[in-house]
This record gives sequence, C-alpha cells and structure tokens, in this order.
Amino acid sequence: MPLPPRDFNTIGPKEGQRFPDVRLSDQTGALVDLHERRAGRPALVVFYRSAEW
Amino acid sequence: MNGVALFAISYDSVEILRDFAATHGITYHLLSDQGSHAMRRLGLINDRVQEDHAAYGIKPNARHVNLPYPGVYVLDRDGVVTQKRFYESYRERDTGTGLIAQALGIVTEPSVPVVATNAPVVTARAWLDSPTYVFFQRVVLTVEVSIAPGFHVYGQPAGDGLTPLSIEIDAIEGLEGGPARWPSPRRFTQPGLNDGLWVHKGIVRGTVPLTFAAAPGGGDHVVGVTVRYQACDDASCLVPSSVHLRVPVREAALVGRSLPSPTSMT
Repeated sequence: MPLPPRDFNTIGPKEGQRFPDVRLSDQTGALVDLHERRAGRPALVVFYRSAEW
Repeated sequence: MNGVALFAISYDSVEILRDFAATHGITYHLLSDQGSHAMRRLGLINDRVQEDHAAYGIKPNARHVNLPYPGVYVLDRDGVVTQKRFYESYRERDTGTGLIAQALGIVTEPSVPVVATNAPVVTARAWLDSPTYVFFQRVVLTVEVSIAPGFHVYGQPAGDGLTPLSIEIDAIEGLEGGPARWPSPRRFTQPGLNDGLWVHKGIVRGTVPLTFAAAPGGGDHVVGVTVRYQACDDASCLVPSSVHLRVPVREAALVGRSLPSPTSMT
C-alpha cells in the first residue's frame, strides 16, 4: 500500500511567499540567478526527477 | 514563450543537462543542482522516496537519493508564489522531454473528437491529444479526413489552380500553431495527363502542434480549425471546399497536489 499522502502545503516555499533566491548553473555552465533572469516576468519553476533517467 | 520565464531544476550535472538540451532542442533554463543542496534548502527533497518506491514495488536505487518532489511553482512578476503543484510519488517514467511535460501535469488521454459531416465528399474529425492544456504545453491536434470512395483530394505539391489539403488554425492570443504534417500523398496519373498529381484517398490524418504560450490564466478555448481541400473523382473536380471544426480545450489549473483528472467534455 502507498504511504499516506503528504500535505504539500507544508512542503517547500508556500503560496504568497517570495520564492527564495536560487543561483545555479544552467546547461551552458553559466551561473543563473533565477529572479535576476526572470527580469520582471512571471515564471514557472519545475522540479523534476532527472534529465538522465 | 516570451511572457513567462521557465526554469527546470534537477540534480543533474551541467554536462548531462547540456546533452539533454541539445538532444531535445531545449532553450529554456535547465538548472543544475548537483548535490541537491538548493532543493534541500527549499525543503523539497523527498526523503521518503525509497519507502515510496518500496510501496510501489520499485527496487532501491542509488539515484533515488536526494530527489525532489516532482512539481512546479508558478511565480508572479514580483517572484511571489501564486500556485504550486506537487505529486505524491515517483513511478517510473519515460526519460526525455516527457519528464517536464509530466511534471507540468499533462493529461495524455485524447479529447473526444469533434466531427463535421456537412461538407461535400469529406467527413472531418478533429481531436487534441489532451483535453486540457497547461501553459507552455504543446498539444497535438489531429485532423482526420475521410474521403468518400471514388474521390481523391489534392496533396502537396498541388498543381496550378488546385487547392491542396491544408489545415488553418484560427488565431487565438498566445496560441502558436506549428506546421501541419500529412502522410505522403500518392502519385495519381491519368491517361492524357502528362504530369502526375499528388493526391490523398481514403482516410488521411494530419497533425498540427499547438503551443499555449500565453501566461497562466489563459483560460479555456475553442480552437477553430479550417480544413481546406479540393475533391475530384476520375472524371471531374468539385470546386475547392472547406470545413470548419471547433475543438474545445480547457486550461488545467496548476493547483492541488494530484494529477489532474481527464476533463469530461460536454
């Protein structure tokens, strides 16, 4: 049997909060500051398993 | 895609992401969180993944450590979280661009076909590969043209003055349609005709990729589809004709924490 469901409201940044600053390298190796790169646009931030498998 | 910035974060190395982006023609940002430090800081690491996998009958695997909950955050212009959507579990899923699509909650059941029977010689049906869309999602429109026995319609390239089978999508703000793809037409020759013509007979299915690129909240749409054709039998041709289909598609909300259920069409 699957484990009981989680309450995702308590996991990760919450609705109504500013998304925390994230600085990571992109596929070109360039360091990307998420909020800087948004440049005032709305954004989608997708978390996924892996591009490799 | 100009209106919304897209970031996809995984624990893959830059090298893996570079290959993935090259293979799939990805131009948005794939961010490398090797070691999963950022995802852990955000509180998104699923430390129960091994247990979950066991619950789903999936064997333990070293790669299943430090995985995030798969999901998506929607940020407004100020960077404030307006919606979040996460999934319960990792079942084994296809590698490739499908991962992102799945993370975005894309429904794979096709929509109920819309049928048009009011045109001469041809019956047209149209459906989308998903009855719902999420912004950025590419939905494939299929148009099936059934040509009455004894008739053919012109394919590409069409001769002078002939109208080839084509699909036109009515303009909707934020909707981007790609080129239509048809199966290769057949050569049609007739005595007394020097050049052969390229024609379709029987049942022909064309596809058009549609991308809903408007910002979240684009809402439900009716995609207007015009199919143009010219039908002929061995003796004569009818005047060029067209048929119009209205294919509904609903915007899937990016809220909640479970996969969207297929939307029933009314």
